[in-house]
Amino acid sequence: MAAGPYNYSYIFKYIIIGDMGVGKSCLLHQFTEKKFMADCPHTIGVEFGTRIIEVSGQKIKLQIWDTAGQERFRAVTRSYYRGAAGALMVYDITRRSTYNHLSSWLTDARNLTNPNTVIFLIGNKSDLEAQRDVTYEEAKQFADENGKSIFRLSGENVEDAFLDTAKKIYQNIQDGSLDLNAAESGVQHKPATPRGPISTDQAPQKEGCSC
Amino acid sequence: MTEREGSEPPSASSQAANPLSRKLNKILETRIDNDKEMLEALKALSSFFTDNNLRTRRNLRSDIERRSLSINEDFLQTFQAVKEQLDSVYSDVKAMNDCCQDMTSRLKAAKEQTHDLINQTTKLHAESQKLQMKSQVADAFLDKFQLKSEEVKSLRGNRDGSLSQEFFQSLDKVKKIHNDCKVLLRTNQQTAGLEIMETMALHQESAYERLYRWAQNDCRTLTGDSPDISQMLCQAMEALQDRPVLFRYTLDEFGTARRTAVVRGLIDALTRGGPGGTPRPIELHSHDPLRYVGDMLAWLHQAAASEKEHLQSLLKKCSVNEDQIHDVLGHVTEGVCRPFKVRVEQVLVAEQDAVTLYKLHNLLKFYHNTIGQILSKEAALLTTVTEIQDLSHRMFFNSLNCHANKLLDKVELPPPDLGPTSSLTQTMQLLRDVLACHDASVVPVDDKKEDFKRILSCVVDPLVQMCSVSASHLNTSDMAAYMLNCIYLMQTTLALYEYTDTRLEMLQAQVDAQLDTLVNEQAAHVLNSAGLADIYRSVQQHQSKQGPLASLHGCDASTVKTAMSRFDSYLANPDSVIIPQFGLILSGRVRDSIKKRAIDLICEAYKLMYEAIFKSTNEYKEPQGIVPRTPDQVHKLLS
Repeated sequence: MAAGPYNYSYIFKYIIIGDMGVGKSCLLHQFTEKKFMADCPHTIGVEFGTRIIEVSGQKIKLQIWDTAGQERFRAVTRSYYRGAAGALMVYDITRRSTYNHLSSWLTDARNLTNPNTVIFLIGNKSDLEAQRDVTYEEAKQFADENGKSIFRLSGENVEDAFLDTAKKIYQNIQDGSLDLNAAESGVQHKPATPRGPISTDQAPQKEGCSC
Repeated sequence: MTEREGSEPPSASSQAANPLSRKLNKILETRIDNDKEMLEALKALSSFFTDNNLRTRRNLRSDIERRSLSINEDFLQTFQAVKEQLDSVYSDVKAMNDCCQDMTSRLKAAKEQTHDLINQTTKLHAESQKLQMKSQVADAFLDKFQLKSEEVKSLRGNRDGSLSQEFFQSLDKVKKIHNDCKVLLRTNQQTAGLEIMETMALHQESAYERLYRWAQNDCRTLTGDSPDISQMLCQAMEALQDRPVLFRYTLDEFGTARRTAVVRGLIDALTRGGPGGTPRPIELHSHDPLRYVGDMLAWLHQAAASEKEHLQSLLKKCSVNEDQIHDVLGHVTEGVCRPFKVRVEQVLVAEQDAVTLYKLHNLLKFYHNTIGQILSKEAALLTTVTEIQDLSHRMFFNSLNCHANKLLDKVELPPPDLGPTSSLTQTMQLLRDVLACHDASVVPVDDKKEDFKRILSCVVDPLVQMCSVSASHLNTSDMAAYMLNCIYLMQTTLALYEYTDTRLEMLQAQVDAQLDTLVNEQAAHVLNSAGLADIYRSVQQHQSKQGPLASLHGCDASTVKTAMSRFDSYLANPDSVIIPQFGLILSGRVRDSIKKRAIDLICEAYKLMYEAIFKSTNEYKEPQGIVPRTPDQVHKLLS
């Protein structure tokens, strides 16, 4: 990277949510360190990692906040939704209960983030196809009903989930539905690059439906 | 042939004996056909000797001689020409030789003449080469040790104070020259070295000064949510590392700018919230202390993490130690301490509920740990969190103490069923709630132990005290039963939690004491109801000097027998004779234990009386009739 690792135009703040043990920390670790971690310890409260990616020629720094799934931390992790530009909702395809709890996670995400936050659904552990407990179709339907993008994930395409979320957010910036001037939009912009038109229209356009 | 023949006669004549014969022999021996010369001569002879007559034969010799002469003359003539030609060649060669000799001598002379000139030229040439080299060295020196005019210009910067990329290159060069001068000083070029060093030092100083001003100005503008840290500023920071004081000042400037930004960010998050009000401003939740404080702390945590990144991005080219980063981060996050502290203090002071206070305390502890991973322990923000944590701790125990004091101020009377009072139940619920908070918190274990001890002594001690006071108006058995019930409730509550062992032991000791009371009461009640109590007392106190037991008042055989028969009916139905408090005791285990131990006591008393009655000195007639059952039988019946 000739321009150096610190030269980026935007910072996107992400939050990863979902039940305990669905592999949130693993996703983060895999994305930021590019290594698969077989044994993630339980997250205590909240942890975070960063990585710089490129979307449409723009360098974007992702600041990813990985929350603890344990119920006792719910009060703590709720405070971190504030100001997230992207929320990754993770469930475990081999455990139906984690899928069943999605609607409560979604409610939290909708209530606690700003209206433009892009929410993506991630069915993790799809490498364990044999133990699958939640079908792709029903998850897809859930996503369609709630207007989210759905991703099937296994070990390989962790990147895509993070990248596609960033693309969606970037697109929102480009078409003006995400107001960078507003505080806590979850996107921080470095004014060195030209910025997209900022529309005054603040219709409550909920998360992008790019499925 | 003729010549040979001519020479023959003298030789033959000089020979002795028979020259003629010899000559003849010789002629005869001659083999003409083999002698080519002879053949040749004969052939030549035949060419001109055409007529063989006398005359010709006579003239033959002179002819041959004449011919020989003419041939020799011809020969001579021909050689004459050759000789003349050779002579002319000779003269030519001689002339050439002279010419060459002349040239050689002239060359020699010329060489002698130019020798000096050549020497001179060589010398000059060498000198010129030396000079050329010197000039190269001088150029190289200048190139290495002097700044070009455009470099000097770039060092001065633009009029508006802005800097260019060349500035940094020039600055690097100045620095390099300055360093190289040290090498120069080690050689014998010290004067030059010193002078150059001085000049460079001056350049450096002014350049650093300019750089500092620029960096300071640039830092001042970094007050946005996300500061735009330019490549140039990073370079500036890298360069400024050589001037620690300026570096420090610039970092301070950066810190101050970021500090302002963070404070503004917090206030915005508190009062304005996100775009269009979602997420809602944090202060909207101020009625919910946990959420309010938790949101603020989470915001601070995220801000601290972001600020650390900004700082790292600023210092990416510098080799700074952790301490410096922590210093700056401490400074950056210092500004939010006050607004944060004021708000949390308000919450804490207004909060009455011990459970909420304890939850807040744990939340603060958690964030102290979490934020402590980003900031150093000395950071003002962490100190503030610690202070607030202390306050919350104090407020929590205040609240607990307050509750305890209230309990003691307004002691409830024991209810008729001798069960725990409502204030006790409520307090135990409170204790349960408080201890349950601990399960949800993530604080170091020894801390937890300490906290538990303190909480327990804050709650349990006054409770026990309250129960005692409340029980003080009751009779002994009621008091014992009431206390047992109260302590039982506490025990069952505490048993669910860790670190309550010593407390449970203490309570168990109290239980045991109360238990003894009730056991005695129960045993006495049984003996009383059978009328054996007096007899038992007499048996216990009986001494031989008082005479036989049977003669004592109240111990005569008939009284004893009546009592024993009543005792017998008790044995038939042991559950019928029981103190009223027994049924009110909540714990089955305690009830069982009272029953068992009371029976033990009764059996012992019976045994004592049985033995006394069978003792001959006590003069009971027919003891068998008075006490039909042996102690063993009684024991079996009762147990």
